[in-house]
Amino acid sequence: MAEYPLAEVEDLYSYYSQMMDSVTDYAVIRLDGAGVVRSWHAGAQQLTEYAAEEIIGRPIAQFYTAEDVAIGLAESDLDAAAKAGRHQTEGWRVRKDGSHFWAAVVLTAVHDRDGASGYGMVVRDLSERREQALTLRSLEQMVNSIADYEVIRFDLDGFIRSWNQGAQTLTGYTADEVIGHQVSMFYTAEDARSDVLEREMAGAVRDGSLEVEGWRIRKDGTRFWANIVLSPIRDDEGDVAGYVKVARDLTERREQERLVQQQRDEILELSTPVIQVWDKVLILPLIGTLDSGRAARLTESLLERIAADQAEVVILDISGVPAIDSGVAQHLLETVAAARLMGTISILSGVRPDTAQSIVHLGIELGSLRSRTSLKDALQLALGLVRARNWTGDGARDGAGDVV
Amino acid sequence: MGPGMGPETLSDRVPIMRMGEDLLITLQGDLDDLTVESIERGVTSEVARMRACGALIDISGLDVVDSFVAGALGRLVQMIRLLGAEAAIVGIRPAVAITLVQLGVSLPGVTTALNAEQGMARLRRTRVNGNTGVRP
Repeated sequence: MAEYPLAEVEDLYSYYSQMMDSVTDYAVIRLDGAGVVRSWHAGAQQLTEYAAEEIIGRPIAQFYTAEDVAIGLAESDLDAAAKAGRHQTEGWRVRKDGSHFWAAVVLTAVHDRDGASGYGMVVRDLSERREQALTLRSLEQMVNSIADYEVIRFDLDGFIRSWNQGAQTLTGYTADEVIGHQVSMFYTAEDARSDVLEREMAGAVRDGSLEVEGWRIRKDGTRFWANIVLSPIRDDEGDVAGYVKVARDLTERREQERLVQQQRDEILELSTPVIQVWDKVLILPLIGTLDSGRAARLTESLLERIAADQAEVVILDISGVPAIDSGVAQHLLETVAAARLMGTISILSGVRPDTAQSIVHLGIELGSLRSRTSLKDALQLALGLVRARNWTGDGARDGAGDVV
Repeated sequence: MGPGMGPETLSDRVPIMRMGEDLLITLQGDLDDLTVESIERGVTSEVARMRACGALIDISGLDVVDSFVAGALGRLVQMIRLLGAEAAIVGIRPAVAITLVQLGVSLPGVTTALNAEQGMARLRRTRVNGNTGVRP
């Protein structure tokens, strides 16, 4: 060891002390070989709230929690430092007022010129960083526990930065396979070509978030119908730093909706059958409850059939309709009016006494509506009307043709 | 009718065809105030000139049939009747029929038919009934 002149040593010591006092984020403490505090400074006081005279001469165990003291942690830390020369650890330490802080501690074995051993101890309060780390980890766990949703983050260029369990379940890719790759790898070839990602990112930034649905591709090449919510992540300055994408698989729901719609269409088709019973005579047997959707469709399909078959008379048989309310009656009369505009006569059949009462009491204008109680009578009237209508006046008289 | 407005000129603009004692008027495209006016002039002068007994108005070629067009058609039918002829409207398509009913237009009292043939038969029958009240 080099010999220094005393004055120089004193200068160095003073310089060193001043420097130590300026360190406030760390506690830098000298311990003797028994682990007793031998030096103190401003940073140590700020961290632990002990003044120098209160702590110098006290053992290091003063800073340990009762549980750690009970298991002799202070001694084992010192031993570890003595053996390895340096010992780094993290753990709870106690302030003067008994409150805890999460400390990162580095113990270094030092030897003075006489060969006596001691320790240098650097302590840093990591409570806040630990809290942040815990928050991050809990968020990560939360995100991972959402098994049905893909929750991923990607950067401004669309490169994937984080991946969750739900994303793996949904797409079949593990984190290793996707992190660092472009998120467009899940797009259909067509979407990938047509800059869908750029448009989605721009839309998310413009509106704060963007919800889209579309086909996406799994690892095995199969596709799924995804509902996607894309939101920009902004940094403290408010600049967009990346995007969070939350996606779920709606393939099944989409399929079910399609099926339900298809069945509904088929039922509507079945529930509005138009039957041709005679040349130029159609029957529309109405069965069951009529709602406005069904009634509108009914009108439409009847008029199409009239045009296709060039029907002259149509019989609307309402004997199978349980109740006629004003809405249904209105729909029926609109159908009759539309058919008349096309040049076709309508006959109502199957009107029951109570139906007759309610139609009239509803105050619905019947116009020139023809009506018969039975389908047989209605058919007879229809055939008569057709014969009369086709009687041109320059041929022989058609027997059944009668005044219309 | 002004002397300069010959019926030939008008029937060029509004296709009017003679079928025996009846006229077939085919309306096409889009109807506006001006077109309606020239149709009215053309049809009335032709009905009078030909001493037609009936007039069929085929509207299957019209692009739009709204309440304005429906009103014009109703007036045209009345003009034809005032000239002693019967009128019928043919070629109302299903979608047009639904639209008119929803607009509250039902052309009351106007004879309608699916096609020109049926319309013609209907005109003749009305004529026979209306003129003699008995069958031949």
